Amino acid sequence: MDDFYTKLAEILEVDRVAADDVLSEFEYWDSLTVLSVLAMLDSGYGVNLTAANLRELKQAGELAAVVESRKRK
Amino acid sequence: MNDPDFITPLSLRSRRVLVTGAASGIGRAACELLSRLEARIVAVDIDEAALNGAVQGLAGEGHAQCCFDVGDVERIPGWMADVAQKGGPLFGVVHAAGLSCVQPLRLLSPAAYRKVLLLNTEAALALARGFHKKAVGDAAGGSIVFISSVMASAGAPGAAAYAMSKAALHGLTRSLAMELAPGKIRVNCVAPGFVRTPMFDRMSAPWDAAQLARVEEDHPLGLGAPADVANSIAFLLADTGRWITGSVLTVDGGYTAH
Repeated sequence: MDDFYTKLAEILEVDRVAADDVLSEFEYWDSLTVLSVLAMLDSGYGVNLTAANLRELKQAGELAAVVESRKRK
Repeated sequence: MNDPDFITPLSLRSRRVLVTGAASGIGRAACELLSRLEARIVAVDIDEAALNGAVQGLAGEGHAQCCFDVGDVERIPGWMADVAQKGGPLFGVVHAAGLSCVQPLRLLSPAAYRKVLLLNTEAALALARGFHKKAVGDAAGGSIVFISSVMASAGAPGAAAYAMSKAALHGLTRSLAMELAPGKIRVNCVAPGFVRTPMFDRMSAPWDAAQLARVEEDHPLGLGAPADVANSIAFLLADTGRWITGSVLTVDGGYTAH
């Protein structure tokens, strides 16, 4: 899932994202960023989540686990 | 009361109309309505399987279908000449194919916004160029309708690329209307609000219930149906719009009336 963290870092405009980083604490974590993350999950992994689903996940690692379990095989 | 010689000015009997984005949403609804108004449809889409289904549902006969990518703008005029040679000249063109884009400015790459401009705007210009060529458009004149959006005049976060592509259509509509009027070609644009189409479903899939409710509330008459926009397209294409050119018809359930 290194690729996932790289894409997430790109959207959040930070050098790197770690599994224990809290999503809502990133400077650019706003509604448009959420939409961008959802679009990336859909186009990159075939994972469809809603903004509400995403808000239930606290850390980047939790999101990675959801993507890992649901991604296109 | 009944006048046997009366023909509704909405009639498109035997007139050939090319519709892009014909396999779904507004394009498909336009094809269905125009065929019921007796137009002969040239249905164009990139999705061949969906296009087959759309064409099967059309009323009347004499329709044609083309699996063609309107993003291939260089080829559009030559391809339209071929369409006209095979099935006869066109009376009208409806450009309903398009691409939505919701991206914050800081993530909006040149490749991403150019793709939106290509399909939404450049393809419209290329279709007009093709239509204007000798033996493609009907010698008696014709009608072009572009599909814009309320986003061309009402801003929204993340809508820069889409809004830019649709606002450009308004300028294109007015300039082409002036340039093509001597040839009796009318050019108009329909600017819909949010319409329940597959494109809207894809865009709104990540929204939660509250977001969807907010968008619905922004439309005093509620969200639109593809047929609502198709009605306006038919009005502008047919003789009901024969003294209308260079106009942008807002069809948005009151979205921009705020």
